Amino acid sequence: MRGNRSRFASIVAIGAVSALLLAGCSGGNGGNTGTPGAGESSTTGAAVTLTVTTFGTMGFEGLYDEYMQLNPNVTIEATNIDTGGNARTDAFTKIAAGSGLADVVALEEGWLGAIMEVSDVFVDLKDYGIADRAAEWLDWKYAQGTDPGGRVIGAGTDIGPEGICYRQDLFAAAGLPSDRAEVATLLDGDWQNFFDVGRQYQQATGKAWFDQSGFVWNAMVNQLPEGYYTKAGELNIEGNTEMRARWDSLAAASADGLSAAQTAWDWNGGQSFVDGTFATFVCPGWMLGVVKGQIEAGGGDATTGWDFADVFPGGAANWGGSFLAVPETSENKEAAAALVLWLTESDQQVKQFEAAGNFPSTVAAAAQLAESATPDPIFNGAPVGAILAGRAEGVTAQFKGPDDSLIQENVFGVATQALDTGTANGEQAWNQAIQLLNDLVVNG
Amino acid sequence: MASTLDKPPRKDMTARAGADDPVSGGSRRTWRDRLSWLDFKASPYLYISPFFLLFALTGLFPLIYTVFVAVHDWDLLSGQGKFVGFANFTTTLGDRFFWNSIENTVSIFLWGTIPQILGALLLAAVLDQHLKAVTFWRMGVLLPYVVTPVAVALIFSSIFRNSADTSLANNLLSAVGLDPIEWKRDRLASHVAIGSMVNWRWTGYNALILLAAMQAVSRDLYEAAAIDGAGAVRRFFSITIPSIRPTVIFVIVTATVYGLQIFAEPRLYDVANAGGIGGSERQFQTTVLYLWEMAFFRQNLGRASAVALLLFVLIVSIGLVNFFLSARISTGEAKEPRKTRRLRARRGASR
Repeated sequence: MRGNRSRFASIVAIGAVSALLLAGCSGGNGGNTGTPGAGESSTTGAAVTLTVTTFGTMGFEGLYDEYMQLNPNVTIEATNIDTGGNARTDAFTKIAAGSGLADVVALEEGWLGAIMEVSDVFVDLKDYGIADRAAEWLDWKYAQGTDPGGRVIGAGTDIGPEGICYRQDLFAAAGLPSDRAEVATLLDGDWQNFFDVGRQYQQATGKAWFDQSGFVWNAMVNQLPEGYYTKAGELNIEGNTEMRARWDSLAAASADGLSAAQTAWDWNGGQSFVDGTFATFVCPGWMLGVVKGQIEAGGGDATTGWDFADVFPGGAANWGGSFLAVPETSENKEAAAALVLWLTESDQQVKQFEAAGNFPSTVAAAAQLAESATPDPIFNGAPVGAILAGRAEGVTAQFKGPDDSLIQENVFGVATQALDTGTANGEQAWNQAIQLLNDLVVNG
Repeated sequence: MASTLDKPPRKDMTARAGADDPVSGGSRRTWRDRLSWLDFKASPYLYISPFFLLFALTGLFPLIYTVFVAVHDWDLLSGQGKFVGFANFTTTLGDRFFWNSIENTVSIFLWGTIPQILGALLLAAVLDQHLKAVTFWRMGVLLPYVVTPVAVALIFSSIFRNSADTSLANNLLSAVGLDPIEWKRDRLASHVAIGSMVNWRWTGYNALILLAAMQAVSRDLYEAAAIDGAGAVRRFFSITIPSIRPTVIFVIVTATVYGLQIFAEPRLYDVANAGGIGGSERQFQTTVLYLWEMAFFRQNLGRASAVALLLFVLIVSIGLVNFFLSARISTGEAKEPRKTRRLRARRGASR
């Protein structure tokens, strides 16, 4: 009987190992979303599969399904990269390699400084009819996507008008006004006023005002008429008194304990949004989707108490904004351009907003949102679209130079973290930033 | 093979003066003779050529091209610039971040290799015993190696979160009454965490290699030592380890070459911070990660190639050091047969 038992055992062992190996070696998920319509050949041509690469929360998922229903011969395979920083590395690597880019690529405005130097990597969308629709977009957005030679390489999707997300329950508990309109009056003013209200909150509750200095700094810089680069493309940091003054006020705020020193893009797995670690958050339109995702990840929901106020310290400003582009290496340029032009139509941009909160860049879509004023449950019923439409009035994007993203992430990102962890005061952190700037950008 | 060593058959069987030369087999050779002579001489080279052709294409050519790129100003997007000679190398050698990455690499390498090899030795010794379902255990230790490094990095990155409450590692620490550590901000803590990832992955693999070497050690040695009163620990240190010394050297050399090129783990450890370059202040940026940052993040391929070549020089020199050390140690191996012989002689005499 021993022979039978060892044979049985060996069969079981072989079965278990095979199962393990098959599980380990099996290919990744198919990734196919949706199938073309049954048998019908569309008038637009043969079956085509388009790959799309986006980042963050762009809210396109429902739109892909709709497009595939309208065009049964098209299959869309979408990839979404978690953060803009990683998406930039991905895009630039593939541009340099000359292959690997999807048929449709989402570009962020911060990358355009570098991409415009190699803008012939992307097709000119004027060849596919974008010029007829040029008037639909905000004129600065359309111009931002146009390279110096006049080729329109990016069709604008969203822009980044900013409001302040805040915890109305925590405000109430601290004795601050918590109604949206009252908060708008309370925080209206400059950044000094914002930080002073924060100090009031901190004295009342002992908790931090905002999550981390990095995003606040980014908002502050994006508000200036000229940011890290002048419009002529020169570095604009050393000797920039306005920027230095803002840095000093931020440093003072962080030193007073107003910053919760969170890890950006992690926030404790979303928990910090739920447990009251901080009470305010700078919210451009595209950040709303991120906030919702983090609240859900942290186990919160509409009852957590987040609200959205129609105010921004220092005045209305724009932070971020994306474009959709078609690389020249794409094998389905016409179909990809058609998809890009469809996704950026006003109706679709409104649906994008409804899905993820990204604010549209077309005039008609912005007007529609201002009118409809749909309340958003996660933000205590705030009419987010209307608020953002108001915040977008008169705002233009800042000029972005070639190393803008690098400076934001690896120069001032490091310095703001030094402020938050208390390893450097304002002066030391600024000097650290200047040194990093010299090492990484000037001499790098 | 024997047929090719024989004289090729001669059509003309009549003996001729000077026709007895075994190599040329006579002045009149058929094309068949020449072919089989060619087969004998050349086919070994043809059999090994695929490897060398592929290596030349995918290994040697990129190596030479890297030298070419390193002496130019080369931007990632805009391509080849002007010739700059050694400027990239001197800039790199003067860059504080390069030396920072070398320090981090050595530190992570030590944290990630020493526990791994010690653990592998112990594990191999345990697996060498008579266990129930021993094959299952032996295959089981290989499972961490099968898991893709990216998945491991993401999971460990989650275990070693900074915060005091959502981090498994900090929870364990507070359960024992210690303060939480900022695993991703503190330099040493991040090295320990990344080292633990590397250890977790490679211990089983190295254990199996060492196990194979241990199984080649003659059991008679252990019996003789046991008879002489040596305990298990004494047997392990005096018999097992010296006998598997060449394998230990091999394991150390391969672990060193790998350990100096760690990339996936630090890249994914804190991937959203500062673009994933190894911590906001480059606390755990290894040299390969610095190379990656230089190439694809700061878009300077010329300097990245210079870093690659400097790292190549570093690894080759460490490899040479290893080689000389092991050559010195292996001459000491001549003592082994004497030890064995002595033991055998004693056993033989006692019979």
